[in-house]
Amino acid sequence: MEVAGNSAAGLADMTRRRYGVRRPRRETLAGIGFHVPMIVVLLAITVFPLIYSLKLSFESYSLVQTGMNGQGVGLANYSRLIHDPEFWNAMKLTLIFVFVGVSVELCLGLVIALLLQSIEGGRRIFVTLLMIPAVMTPLVIGLMYNFVFNAQFGLFTYIIQRLHLPLPQGLLGSKTWAFPTLIFTDIWEWTPFMALILLAGLQALPEEPFEAAQIDGATGWRTLRYVTLPMLKPILVVAVLFRAVDALKEFDKVYILTNGGPGSATDVIDLFTYRMSFVNWDMSYGSAVGMVLFCITLALAFVFVKVTTRTSTG
Amino acid sequence: MSIRIKRRAWPCVATAALVAVVACPSYLAAGASAQTSAGAHPYAGVTLNFIGEETTQTDILKKLLPEFTKETGIKVNIEEAPYDTVVQKEILDFSTHKASYDVESMPYEYLGSYAENGYIQPIDSYLNSPKWTPASFDKSDIIPKLWMDASNWKGKFYGFPSESPVMMMFYRQDLFSNPAEKKAFMAKYHYPLAPAETLQQYSDIAQFFTRKQGQMLAGKILTHNFYGVATAAKRHIATFCEWLNYAWDYGGGIFDKQGNLINNSAENKEALTYWVGLTKYAPPGYTTYTWDEVTSAFQQGIVAEAITWGDTASAVEDPSQSKVAGEMGYADIPKASASGPLVAHYGGWSYVINRDSQNKDAAYLFMRWALSGNVQLQLAELGGLPARTSTFEDKALNAKFPYWKQELSSLRISTPRPRIPQFGAIASDLELGLSKALAHEESPSTALDNVQKAMEQTMKGALPVTYQ
Repeated sequence: MEVAGNSAAGLADMTRRRYGVRRPRRETLAGIGFHVPMIVVLLAITVFPLIYSLKLSFESYSLVQTGMNGQGVGLANYSRLIHDPEFWNAMKLTLIFVFVGVSVELCLGLVIALLLQSIEGGRRIFVTLLMIPAVMTPLVIGLMYNFVFNAQFGLFTYIIQRLHLPLPQGLLGSKTWAFPTLIFTDIWEWTPFMALILLAGLQALPEEPFEAAQIDGATGWRTLRYVTLPMLKPILVVAVLFRAVDALKEFDKVYILTNGGPGSATDVIDLFTYRMSFVNWDMSYGSAVGMVLFCITLALAFVFVKVTTRTSTG
Repeated sequence: MSIRIKRRAWPCVATAALVAVVACPSYLAAGASAQTSAGAHPYAGVTLNFIGEETTQTDILKKLLPEFTKETGIKVNIEEAPYDTVVQKEILDFSTHKASYDVESMPYEYLGSYAENGYIQPIDSYLNSPKWTPASFDKSDIIPKLWMDASNWKGKFYGFPSESPVMMMFYRQDLFSNPAEKKAFMAKYHYPLAPAETLQQYSDIAQFFTRKQGQMLAGKILTHNFYGVATAAKRHIATFCEWLNYAWDYGGGIFDKQGNLINNSAENKEALTYWVGLTKYAPPGYTTYTWDEVTSAFQQGIVAEAITWGDTASAVEDPSQSKVAGEMGYADIPKASASGPLVAHYGGWSYVINRDSQNKDAAYLFMRWALSGNVQLQLAELGGLPARTSTFEDKALNAKFPYWKQELSSLRISTPRPRIPQFGAIASDLELGLSKALAHEESPSTALDNVQKAMEQTMKGALPVTYQ
């Protein structure tokens, strides 16, 4: 009540509600008028495809295969999905990709953010340089690493040979190393982004708790453990959720670098969905997989909203 | 019957008449063209939209286009994209009936799908009409097998071959003719070193030429490792393409004569075991190889032989980008046994007309022009692949391109992949199994059993395949 009561707009709002004063008709119409385009666009580009995709997932529909004309098949696509080992392999790989990738990005990002926070001169230059991987198109990063990891003339191959490292010459062609290599490229791409978010969070923290910790004689580590990290927690959670949702949709780099191989060693869920829909042209099965992915993303978004709401009100 | 027009309506009628006169000459002329031969400029002003794969062939076609526009007055916008994108754009355009493209170059494995769904226009009426296809066009000169495979579905022609790549064997002629290497090979294998005629010989040669940095090769000390064979083993359509040669060699394939699936037949298992064994002599990272990397391995001079696409020979023979230009030889794909049949996987594309196009006549004229003798000759001279026998037999071109003769002989005996509507899905199933076996993730036998299982699901309700 006191939040609304502090502003003039809030007071006017309260008065209207309490005494039943209605908004002028023109104002209401203008409000609707301003909202309608946004609602229509949202309906067209998000809600409609979603509902259409849900409908497709209960049908048998293909743009190229004859006999798949959109006839209803009930839960057949979902049943197929449950019994499809390639789907479960893709889900498993995606979850590992998200967990390992985002965890490493978070740790490295935090270290970089703390280092940047501690330096005075040249921070702007470092921040600008850090932006480079984050602003590059994932496709370009994929093509770049395709050269870097090339088994014959790649830079990485050269380093492996010079240092006599116990690694195979063609990392992307190795069933053991291809997936960790993909995670490495993701870490390279997104750690700077994580560092920048955390740096912004660190700079927004109040100074008083740090002064109090200093007066109490807290060491650097204890200050980090008991002051910085607890206060930074909401930012950390938001950064992790933001990256996790994004990493769930990993496609470009995998498509360019391995196309899911060798075998199914790097077949993440977005690539699997793409293959079902636009290579096999089984739009319905692709939609069913897409709906599962949507539910996972929705659950993460729910956590995201919960955390951000608690942060803003707390 | 007289029509009376009110005085007030005259300005409207006059304006409408003016607009009609300005806007309609092309339509009037088009109508007239059906009566006359398509000789003058009956389609002047028509703009055709074309999509094709991003290849040298399409680039050359683009260069030659002004000639077509000069001859017919028809403008052509050419859009180029990679394989997957071309297929996706075409299918989305067909299924939404937007007719964004009037004429397309399509990978022939989608012919069954496009034809069965009614996406593309049969051209028999044009082909059988002397008005549209004069005798001077000489249809019989287009390589019959190539044309049938690329463009004929269930007795109807849907277009003309737009690209004619075929797989064949590439080998390092300079190494094969080196006296020291010949002597060493004879001593080790007890038969002369020559381009492999059987798969056993192919494997022996691969083993023979696989050498470490510091060893001798053709009288020189190697500054890098050298490998016997390059092979495409990525989870990619390139692996599917190479596989069919080995499978056919051993008498296997995807379907038997009755149209039932035979992926896990004894012949296929033997073929895949052979191929997996061959990878011992391939460069590291071969599981990331498509046809591009095979080409690149030759260009870098690190491999002795490979079964790959004939249309990559021009890049291997280009001294500006290849270390082995002028040192290559080309031959038939080795057979499983000396008495077995020759095989060669054909991988062409076809020009087709969108059934929803409003410019079908102009689209046909464009296809006919692209297949005309003169254009085919120019195309070949600039590094493209023609579809006409006369172009392949041209003496000057044969002297210029050492791989030319082999292209024609491989095309004549070539076999197409299945052109069924489920092609994309069955290719995916096979690519996964082959990739697992070639990466040593599964044994050839397990991998092919799994492919069979997956393909049975994919082909559910569509077996046996009676036409492909």
